[in-house]
Amino acid sequence: MQTAKREIAVSMSNISKRFGPVRALENANLEIVRGSILGLVGQNGAGKSTIIKVLAGIIKPDSGTIVINGETVTALSPASVEKLGVHFIHQDRLLVPTATVGEAVFLGHEIGFGPFVSRRAMERRAADLLQRFFGLELPVGTLVKDLTTAQQKVVQITRALAQKASVLVLDEPTAALVKREVDSLFDVLRRLRDDGIAVVFISHYMQEIEKLCDRVTVMRNGTDVGTVDPRETSVEEIISMMIARDVGEMFPKRSVTLGAPVLEVANLRLGGGFENIGFNVRAGEIVGLTGLLGSGAKEIVQCLFGLKTADGGLIKVEGRELSLSTPVKAVRDGIAMLPEDRRAHGVALGLSVRENISLASLRRYSKSGLVSRGSENQAVDGLIKELSIKTPHRDALVRELSGGNQQKVAIAKWLSCQSRVYVLDEPTVAVDVGAKVEIYNLLNRLAGEGAAILLLSSDLLELVGVCDRVLVVYRGRLAGTFSGPSMNSDALLAASSGARPDADGVAA
Amino acid sequence: MSVSANSPKPSLRAFLAKYSVLIAFAAIVIFFALTSPTFLTPANLFNVLVNNVVMLAIVALGLTIVISSGGIDLSVGVSVDMASMVFVMLLAAGYSGVVGVGGGLGAALVVGILNAILITRLNISPFLATLGVLFIGQSTQQLATSGGQPIYLTSGYASDQFNAIARTALFGVPTPVIVLIVLSIAVHVLLHRSVFGRYVQAMGAQPGVAWYSGIRVPRELSMVHVLCALLAGVTGILLSATVKSYVPLSGNAFLLDAIGATFIGTTLSRERKPSVVGTLLGVLLLAIVKNGLLLVGWNFYWQQVGIGLLVFLVLAVSFGLRRATH
Repeated sequence: MQTAKREIAVSMSNISKRFGPVRALENANLEIVRGSILGLVGQNGAGKSTIIKVLAGIIKPDSGTIVINGETVTALSPASVEKLGVHFIHQDRLLVPTATVGEAVFLGHEIGFGPFVSRRAMERRAADLLQRFFGLELPVGTLVKDLTTAQQKVVQITRALAQKASVLVLDEPTAALVKREVDSLFDVLRRLRDDGIAVVFISHYMQEIEKLCDRVTVMRNGTDVGTVDPRETSVEEIISMMIARDVGEMFPKRSVTLGAPVLEVANLRLGGGFENIGFNVRAGEIVGLTGLLGSGAKEIVQCLFGLKTADGGLIKVEGRELSLSTPVKAVRDGIAMLPEDRRAHGVALGLSVRENISLASLRRYSKSGLVSRGSENQAVDGLIKELSIKTPHRDALVRELSGGNQQKVAIAKWLSCQSRVYVLDEPTVAVDVGAKVEIYNLLNRLAGEGAAILLLSSDLLELVGVCDRVLVVYRGRLAGTFSGPSMNSDALLAASSGARPDADGVAA
Repeated sequence: MSVSANSPKPSLRAFLAKYSVLIAFAAIVIFFALTSPTFLTPANLFNVLVNNVVMLAIVALGLTIVISSGGIDLSVGVSVDMASMVFVMLLAAGYSGVVGVGGGLGAALVVGILNAILITRLNISPFLATLGVLFIGQSTQQLATSGGQPIYLTSGYASDQFNAIARTALFGVPTPVIVLIVLSIAVHVLLHRSVFGRYVQAMGAQPGVAWYSGIRVPRELSMVHVLCALLAGVTGILLSATVKSYVPLSGNAFLLDAIGATFIGTTLSRERKPSVVGTLLGVLLLAIVKNGLLLVGWNFYWQQVGIGLLVFLVLAVSFGLRRATH
């Protein structure tokens, strides 16, 4: 084990695992190399989380061998894996919110004498480590709940490093981060790689994989279909490995004749957010909206749904001027909103598919204040079929559905209202590739039926693939409108960063 | 047996988990029937119904609505007391029963509106808002009654008015029981069949989703708290009419039992949602246990222990088995 290159930290081979009739893994292989960042990609259900859980000792494989640091290991448990230096940063942050940073970093490995914990020593060491690894200075005694999501990730990574991690596995670490935080996380991971640590990075975002990883292992149907170098293999090729079909189909083509303007925005202004925003969305048109965090793009969308009240300007739907001060008014005026945080704002997980779909349009299915179950059921069944929502029955809880199908329920809610304007806020975040395609198809169909669609997204490929036109917001102003051949991800990226590659305009 | 096509294979555990309340109920009835000769007599059951069930159940109906909306109302006792106080004071001053009832319900309405304002305008969490109202309400009563002096109206005009409410019957069914039946049906329809009820459930399941769906969350939430206070007010009227008096701070006794009954009732639902049927079962269960323990000679303090154990048992069995079946 002298060679610095290609020193294998973990090698999993021919791993198989069945859950009843379901084959979760079938002769899957995974090789993790020191000093290298490995991307692990695949659709939901491809087996990437199962193989990671096998490595973490959470799931026991039916067959296969696992070699960690040159030693064949059997009977892994979460504790024994950590002892071998393999650490996991799980998607849901697992930090105690009321703990201090020091307590969080040394959780389970407290510094102290016997039963007494030396809080001061832990805070000091934690501050040391954070400063040394990440250049992060936090006031001593800062509580976990007061940290940003990115800082919490950093604290989790620090916890792993404090315990001498040699392999670090991150499951969707960027899902809750904003762009700037993602960049600083990437810097941290690259630094760790250069220090010889093996990093595994699981993500749905192909651009991140492309930017960060040295190698990418693609999983499909429970097995690894190949490991490629993202510098030599295009994102399209990787995606087609994942879905085994041509990525050309990912963004379905459509041809629609555009109608009259449905949504008209003029001179819209929000103090500290944006100013002088004006644009139209015509019937049948899908208009994209993008901008860096703090650019004001998000706030524009919020004003269009009454979540924030604009300080001035005009919003018209089908020629009628609206005053949008609450979502109540926006919904009444025919505006639909697909929020970014699906679980908090999009669908109620504890309610049934039926209750979710009819929630915004109950008045249609009711007589003198009482819900008429017959007409409600009929409408809901129709929408479940129309959107091919995969649910056992209309009364199944939304919690039991996959992310993509939950999103379809959120869309069905507005179809049930027959909304005219659809405002979508990052609709394909944390949705697998297959479901993404279905959502794009759905947008196309909505547009085809004459709806006006405004799509806020930070996925530039998605914007280029789906939209007729893309508006770019930079520092609270429209920095440009792109359509036709000028609409490509390079141009959009340049415009959203103010045509300066290193724009620092994020602090609004 | 014809079951719907996609219902899962019934297992004993799932059955026990779902019907733990009913099973506990049956077991307790059988136990007391065997141990106490008077328990199953019509006279005793009638007594339980009128004295232990009706008033608690009406308060619990209100709490069922509030808990469904994701909130809590700790001030139901204050609503009971305020309605009772104003009702009795108006009768004492010689006003008619109708004015008295109206005034009593009006007093409860004020408590409900106060809660609604604190929660929806000042954005105070329901727990803290209603806790504050509870403290204020208790002190108000003591100030209004020179330190908590009860008001007794056991004879004359007022007594007749009380009797007209508490001692009358329709087709042999006492008026308070009829009031309970009517209110139960009304709240059931409201919570489980109406648009308002659907909004309440949505707010309880995920308030953000309700807001993003265009529901007037503040307005619906205000309605929830006003309804709860009004229902508690009805109990206040019935209480005064039954005991022919107003005893300050007597309403609080309902609070914990009503919360307990509502949560026992949630075991009937897969998603542990409160329901009117579940709450009524919970109230019956508590009332029967109290009565039965009294009949077999346990004193008041041991009754509380018995009820505590019962709540633990029903919830633990239901949730434990459910987790195991999952």
